[in-house]
Amino acid sequence: MLVIRRRPGETVMIGEDIEIEILDATHSQVKLGIRAPKSVTVLRKEIRLTREQNLAAAHEFSSVELDRLKNALGGTISRL
Amino acid sequence: MLTFPAGLPGFERATRFVLVEQPEYAPIVSLESVDCQELRFLAVPVGTLDADYSLAVNEEDLQRLGLPMERQPVPGSEVLCLALLSAPRNGPATANLLAPVVVNLKTRVGVQAVRADSRYSHQYLIPGEAAC
Repeated sequence: MLVIRRRPGETVMIGEDIEIEILDATHSQVKLGIRAPKSVTVLRKEIRLTREQNLAAAHEFSSVELDRLKNALGGTISRL
Repeated sequence: MLTFPAGLPGFERATRFVLVEQPEYAPIVSLESVDCQELRFLAVPVGTLDADYSLAVNEEDLQRLGLPMERQPVPGSEVLCLALLSAPRNGPATANLLAPVVVNLKTRVGVQAVRADSRYSHQYLIPGEAAC
């Protein structure tokens, strides 16, 4: 991992076309401004992970998998 | 019927879902899209996987849900919390505990509340599913 220290107002460039500017920084949060071509998707990491999981989750489960899953869950503590 | 004003990440236009429970597959439930016939997700209540699961819904999502922003909602009485299940072809099934689907029980409005912390995994391995 490349570690760079920047203060608010300073900028980092990634590749030819991507710029990240530190707009504001407090002890608990940093505000970033990102300039990138439209072809580059910029997402918070956890949103991207969730999006990928959702796409995987949208695929059908076979009844064999469903039964297996149901049995696996039967062994855990049930509480809504 | 449940309404998801922002859809789900990756499925932003799927705003209406029906929750279907089949007793023979309990506790697994399915979220079936009204807008897209082939789209459905399997899910389990998060409490089934982790009885001590601690919600961390952000302010924007609390607002979307129409819930007070000063505290986390109570699963079971105020909200339903479901973890979506994935079954990759060559691997064990996992549940997304990083981003539970949270539904306001009174209004039936839902959101997939993605956490910003890394306390829970988006690919939580379901105990009993791991290959021996």
